[in-house]
Amino acid sequence: MIAIVFGLRLGRWGVVGFSLAAFVSTLIQTVGFYQIAGHTPGERIAFGNSILALASQFSALFPPPIRPDTVGGYVEFRGFHPLAILFAVWALASATGAARGDEERGIVAAALGTGISRLGLIAARTIAFAIGVVIAAAAAAAGFLVGVASGHESVSPLGVIEASGLLVAVGLSCYALSLLVAQLAAVRVATAAAGVLLLALFLLNSLSRVFDSLSMWRWLSPFRYYDLSQPLPLGGHFEARAVVVLVGVSVVAAAAAAAAFEFRDLGSALVRPPRRASRVSNTVSGAAWWRWPVWRGVFERRIATAVWAVGMAALAIVFVSLTRTIVQVLLSIPSLLPYLSIFVRQQVYPGVLGFTWFNVAQLLFAAMAITYVARWSAEDSDGRLELALSQPISRAAVVVERVATLVACALVIVAASGATLYYASHVQGIDLNAGRVVAASLMLIPFALVFASAGSLLAAWNPRAAVGLLGAFAFASYLDTELGSIYKLPLWVQDLSAFKLFGTPLLTGVDGRNLALLLLLSLVGLASSILAMQRRDVGA
Amino acid sequence: MLPEMAAPAIRTSRLTKDYGVGRGLFDLDLQVSAQEVFGYLGPNGSGKTTTIRLLMGMISPSHGTAHVFGLDCFREAVEVKRKVGYLPGDVPQFGSLRGSEVVAYLGGMRGGVDRRRVRALAERFDLDLGRRFREYSSGNKQKLAIVLAFMHEPDLLILDEPTSSLDPLNQQEFYALLRETRDGGATVFLSSHVLSEVEHVCDRVGIIRDGRLVRVAQLDELRRIRVHRVEIEFAPDTAVPETPIRDAEGVEEVTISGQRVTCTVRGGFEALMRAIRDAQVVDFISTEPSLEEIFLSYFSERKPKALPP
Repeated sequence: MIAIVFGLRLGRWGVVGFSLAAFVSTLIQTVGFYQIAGHTPGERIAFGNSILALASQFSALFPPPIRPDTVGGYVEFRGFHPLAILFAVWALASATGAARGDEERGIVAAALGTGISRLGLIAARTIAFAIGVVIAAAAAAAGFLVGVASGHESVSPLGVIEASGLLVAVGLSCYALSLLVAQLAAVRVATAAAGVLLLALFLLNSLSRVFDSLSMWRWLSPFRYYDLSQPLPLGGHFEARAVVVLVGVSVVAAAAAAAAFEFRDLGSALVRPPRRASRVSNTVSGAAWWRWPVWRGVFERRIATAVWAVGMAALAIVFVSLTRTIVQVLLSIPSLLPYLSIFVRQQVYPGVLGFTWFNVAQLLFAAMAITYVARWSAEDSDGRLELALSQPISRAAVVVERVATLVACALVIVAASGATLYYASHVQGIDLNAGRVVAASLMLIPFALVFASAGSLLAAWNPRAAVGLLGAFAFASYLDTELGSIYKLPLWVQDLSAFKLFGTPLLTGVDGRNLALLLLLSLVGLASSILAMQRRDVGA
Repeated sequence: MLPEMAAPAIRTSRLTKDYGVGRGLFDLDLQVSAQEVFGYLGPNGSGKTTTIRLLMGMISPSHGTAHVFGLDCFREAVEVKRKVGYLPGDVPQFGSLRGSEVVAYLGGMRGGVDRRRVRALAERFDLDLGRRFREYSSGNKQKLAIVLAFMHEPDLLILDEPTSSLDPLNQQEFYALLRETRDGGATVFLSSHVLSEVEHVCDRVGIIRDGRLVRVAQLDELRRIRVHRVEIEFAPDTAVPETPIRDAEGVEEVTISGQRVTCTVRGGFEALMRAIRDAQVVDFISTEPSLEEIFLSYFSERKPKALPP
C-alpha cells in the first residue's frame, strides 16, 4: 500500500496535469459544440456532414466519427479520441520513468532495499498509474458532463462511463507495454524503444484504415480495440470484449515486465550484447566539437537528432502516400468539388498535404521542444547546470547556447524531413513548389523556438514544474487556434498561438507578419528566461 | 603578481543567506589568505554547502558580500570562475557520456583542456576515462569530479567534501595532491565533516554550526579539540595500570570493567601510551566521535563556550 502511495506521489504532477488537460479538453469541445453546431435539426445535420468531410482528412489519426451532429459523437471525435493519444504518451513517459528513470536516480534500489519484492514494486507502480489514469479519465468525463449541462441536454451516463473506461484501458495497456520494453532495453534507449513500439502499433491501426494490406495485422495494436467502441453518440456501440482484451494485454505485459525485472540486474537490460574487452584509457576525447559552443550540444544529441530526422522523414513519406489516397477519396465526392476548388484554388494536393503533414509536424516539433525543456530541467536537478556554471561561462550564455542547440538540431530535422517530403511528393507525382516546401519547413524553426523560449523561461523559474507547465501551454496554444474563432476570442489572443501563427505556408507562403510575431514571442521568452536565470539560485 | 592576487583569496563580510525558519548562513565574516589550505568544518546541514554555493555565485546572498581575489562572487561570477576549480558535494549525472567526453565537454567551456594534465590526474587516481559515466562506481565518479576541479590548475580550489566515496588509498593520494597544489601556489577551501581529514591537510580551520561560524582555529587548537574514544583490553595475567591511566594528561571519563578500560583522549596519545607501556595489551581500539558529539562536548547548544587553553 505504501509503495502504491509512493508511486502516486512520484507521479502526482502527471496525474494533476493530465487530469486538468482531460477536463479542459472535453469541456471546451462540448461547450464549443453548442456554439458552432447550430440549434435546429437541419443546422446540426449540415454541421455533422462538414465534420465528416473534415474527419476524412484525419483518418490516419482518428477513426471516422459516428453521428457528429450530436454532442456525444462530436466530443467523442474531437475530445476523447485525441485524449487516447495523449494518455498513451503519458503512459510511455510514466512507465519508462518508473522502470528506468527511477533506477538511474537510485529510487528503485532504495525501494527494493526496504524489502519489497520486484514483483511487488512493478505491481505497485502499475496500480499507481492505474489510479492516476482513472482520475484523469474521470476528469474527462466530468468536463463532458459539465459541458452537456451547460447546453441543457442530457446524455447516457452509461456511455460516459464506457468512454472513460476505454481511456483507462488503452492508457493502462500502453503503460504495461512500455514497462515491458523498458525492462528489455538498455537504459539509454528504453524510452525511444518503447516510443517506437507504441508509435508503430498506433500507425499499424490507423494506417490500416487507409491501406487494406495492413488490416490483417491490426489485431496486434491496442488502439484497434479502442477504436471498436464509440459509446458516447446516440446509436453508438460499446465492445466489452475489446476492453477485456485491453485489460488482458495490460495484465500479461505487466506480468512479463515483472518476470523480466526478476531476471535482470539493476542498471542493465535483460538482454545484453557481449561487451568487447577495452583497454583503460586516460586520454581526453579528441573530438573538436566539444570546444565550440552549440556544436558540443549538437554533438551530444547527435543520436537523438538522427532518430528524430529519420523518424520525421519516414512520417513525411507516409503522409505523402496518405495524401494521394485522401485526395482521391475527396475528389470522388461530387458535392465537395466546388468547396475544394474554392478553398484551395486547384491546389488540392499541396492544400491537403500542407494541412495534414504540417499539422502533425507542428505537434512533433512542439513535442521535441518539450523534450529539450525536460532535459534542461533535469540538468538543474541532477547538478549538471551547477557544474556548467562553475566554468567561466555566464548564465545568459548557458540559456542562449541551450536554445541555439535546439535550433541547430531542429535545422537538421527540418532539412531531412523537408527534402524527403519534396522528393517523396515528386515520386508520387505531386508537384510541390520547392521554394514553398523550403519556406514551410523552415517555418517550423521559429515555431519550435516559441515553445523552447517559453520552456526556457519556465525551466529558469521553476524547473520541477517546467515540463508540465509547458505541456499545458502547448495544449492551450493548440486549443487557442482550434477554438479561438469559434469562441470569437480577440485577435491578439488568437495571435498568441504559435499553431495559428504558423499559418498555411505550403499553400499560401510564409506570412511575414506571422513570422515576425513568432520571432517576437521567442525573443520575449528568451530575454525573460535570461533575466530569470540570472536572478535565481542554482542548486539551492 | 597581478593586482587582484594581492587580495585575500576569499573574503566575506556579514555574508548571509536566510532560507527562513533558522536555516541558512548568517553573518559570515571570513578571510582566507592566498596559498592557504583552509578547512571548513561542520556537521551535516550546518551551512557548509550554502557557503560554497555563495562563493561560487550559484546563489545570491540575502545580504553581505563575498569576494574571491577581490572579485565579487555574484556580480563578477565569470571572472571568479576563471580562477576557481570547483568540486560539488554531489557529482552530477552525465548519463551515457564517457569520462573523456565529460572532461572534453566541461574543458571546452574553459576554452580547452590541458590533455597532459588530465592524463596525469587520471593515471594518478587510476581512473578509466574510456568508460561511460553511468558505469562508474561512486568512487570513480568522485575521482572524475577531482579531475574536473584540478585539470586547469586553478588559483583557488573550492572543494565540497571531496573525499566522500574515496577509498583510504585514494584519500591519501588526494591529500598528497592537495599538498602539492598548495606548494604550487594555489589556495584551497575544503569543506568536511571529518575532523581528522582537515587535520591532515589544512593550515587553518573554520568551524561552522547552525549556519554560524563558531570559530576559526589554527591547527594546534584543532588538535586540542580532537577527542578519541579508546577501548583497551589488557592480557588476563596483566595488572591494569588504573592510576597511571587516570592521571595521564588528556585522559578523561575512565571506566574499568575487568581487563577492559574505556576512556576518552583529548589531544595526543603520548600520555596514555606512557601510562600503559609496561602492561601487556591484547586489543586497542580508537574511534573518532562524530563532529556533532565533539561540538556537544565543547559548545553549549545555544552559546559557544571558549575553547580550552
